Amino acid sequence: MTETFDDGRLDQLVDLIVQLSSGDLSARLEPSPARDSLDAVITGINLLAEELELTMEERIAERTLVLEQARIALERMALYDPLTGLANRTLLGDRIRQANLGSERGARPPCVLVLDLDEFKTVNDGLGHSAGDRILVDVARRLTSVVRETDTVARLGGDEFAILMPDISEDDALRVAERALKELHSPFSVSDRAVWAGASIGLCYGRPGQGTDYLLRDADTAMYVAKAKGRGNIQAFKPEMHQMASERLRIASELGEAIDRGQLDLYYQPIVELKSGRIVGAEALVRWLHPERGLLLPGDFIPVAEDSGHIIELGRWVVSAAIAQLRVWELEFPVTAFQLHVNLAPVEVRWPGMAEFIRDALDRSGVQPHRLALEISETGLMTGDVAGLAALMTLKNLGVGVEIDDFGTGYSSISYLRRLPIDTVKVDQSLIRDIATDSQQATFVSAILRLIESVGLRSVVEGIETAAQRDQLRYLGCLYGQGFFFSEPVPAELMTNLLAHQNSAPAG
Amino acid sequence: MNASPEDAPSSSDYESLVIDDEGMLILVWPRGVTITGPAARHAMDEVNRICGGTRRPMLVDMATTKSVAREARVVFGERCAASRIAMLGRSPVDRVIANFALGRIPPRPPCPTKFFTDRDQAYAFLREGMNDRNV
Repeated sequence: MTETFDDGRLDQLVDLIVQLSSGDLSARLEPSPARDSLDAVITGINLLAEELELTMEERIAERTLVLEQARIALERMALYDPLTGLANRTLLGDRIRQANLGSERGARPPCVLVLDLDEFKTVNDGLGHSAGDRILVDVARRLTSVVRETDTVARLGGDEFAILMPDISEDDALRVAERALKELHSPFSVSDRAVWAGASIGLCYGRPGQGTDYLLRDADTAMYVAKAKGRGNIQAFKPEMHQMASERLRIASELGEAIDRGQLDLYYQPIVELKSGRIVGAEALVRWLHPERGLLLPGDFIPVAEDSGHIIELGRWVVSAAIAQLRVWELEFPVTAFQLHVNLAPVEVRWPGMAEFIRDALDRSGVQPHRLALEISETGLMTGDVAGLAALMTLKNLGVGVEIDDFGTGYSSISYLRRLPIDTVKVDQSLIRDIATDSQQATFVSAILRLIESVGLRSVVEGIETAAQRDQLRYLGCLYGQGFFFSEPVPAELMTNLLAHQNSAPAG
Repeated sequence: MNASPEDAPSSSDYESLVIDDEGMLILVWPRGVTITGPAARHAMDEVNRICGGTRRPMLVDMATTKSVAREARVVFGERCAASRIAMLGRSPVDRVIANFALGRIPPRPPCPTKFFTDRDQAYAFLREGMNDRNV
């Protein structure tokens, strides 16, 4: 049976299809009461259009969700540190601005804390970047645990972190800094090893009416002062610190020229046999004869050299100068048992060319390797530092002496020392300060000396300033010592005189 | 040209639901109804309730139904106490609506389902499935 449709519905249906195909998916056509085949087609198209419309709406909702998630992810990338999940510098800046606005509306000014890990480079170089990353994540966790919910912990980059504390008193901010320092003082566990990173902290308290940028900048300046003051401490910003910071920058820029212009010099502090008083060696200590500021001690420029990258160049100069002087003394006093001790920074120890450089310098000079000893600070070598251990082994294989410096200031155990390729341990002066008056301290030092001896190592105690300390140490069986009691660090000519005097005097 | 909401019947609920002498479910929708999601849900719940765990063939009289909402079509796609369904209509429009309601747009119907315009043929189809009871 053939149906005919002359009531205009076919035209309406064509219009509907045109409307739908133009994108108006809400278009519908009411079927007629006839409910015939044409109405069935109209109904079918209505239903298909409804399906299509709903499907499109669902897809749009899905795409919108994906776009929103992408927007959130992008925002996260722009504002948060991907490793630790902490706020980044940008977000911290925003939060500081908000905190300043809050203080304009009556809240107390914010305080910004900037924190830098003291031994992170050593950890990273020694145990690898993944170990370093794990420590950074743990640092983030520890810092987050010491702050209030309203505070913002941020990673500024590398091993530098910041905490923004809005609406806080100076005392409370200091307490947060102390808690942070304490948290970071505990060892980090990396691959079943305990490593210490430590931190230096700078604080800047906000001042009403001042801008945003100064808070972070001044806290950073205070942090560098904390570093310069021996690390592991907290410094609150003072305006005069800016001068120290600019001086630091000047030192960094002048240091490179100082080497070329011959402004560096070595001083020598004798190491004596306690029993006889005879000089058995000396520690070479670098001095900077600055044309304007006079004689600068290592503490004034070594930390700057480490941070600015001049330390390798400086170290090479020290090694070369020390070996050259050693050759002079070796020729002048051929039979004297004398060893010259040179300090190496951890980064110098790990510098791949250092062993080769020392070997070449020894070869060129003709100095016997055993006359040179290299001192590496205890805190520069941590447990499990494979790269550092390998570097020490290479140096040891040259035939030079290798010794651990400042023992007692770090966390090395005696059993760990036994595994190092070293022959001497230099006991830090802080351990013997009260040795002549404090019997408990004397017992403690005695135990340390016996332990060092028991693992086959030689001990030298540094920082001996009085005859009483010397006597006590001699009584405890300590063989070697160094300190102002015997001699302050002296120029090469004076050291030569001391050696000459000793060689002309009868032995004993 | 577009259908206006005012045209829709005020009630979208089914008209009657009974079990006849042969043990078949008979669900009747009112003339001109738009079956909404809640109405479909109510009808399904009632079907399951009166069957009391026994599966039965079901005749759905939906002649001159105006439309079936998408939400209702989703409900009709769920498994229920009906072991076989005959959709009874009168016109090609009913056929299109019935096939959309239980047809080829997913989800597929969970039991044998067919559209009829002849009541006797519908019953014959359902009787074929009387053995499906309690399956």
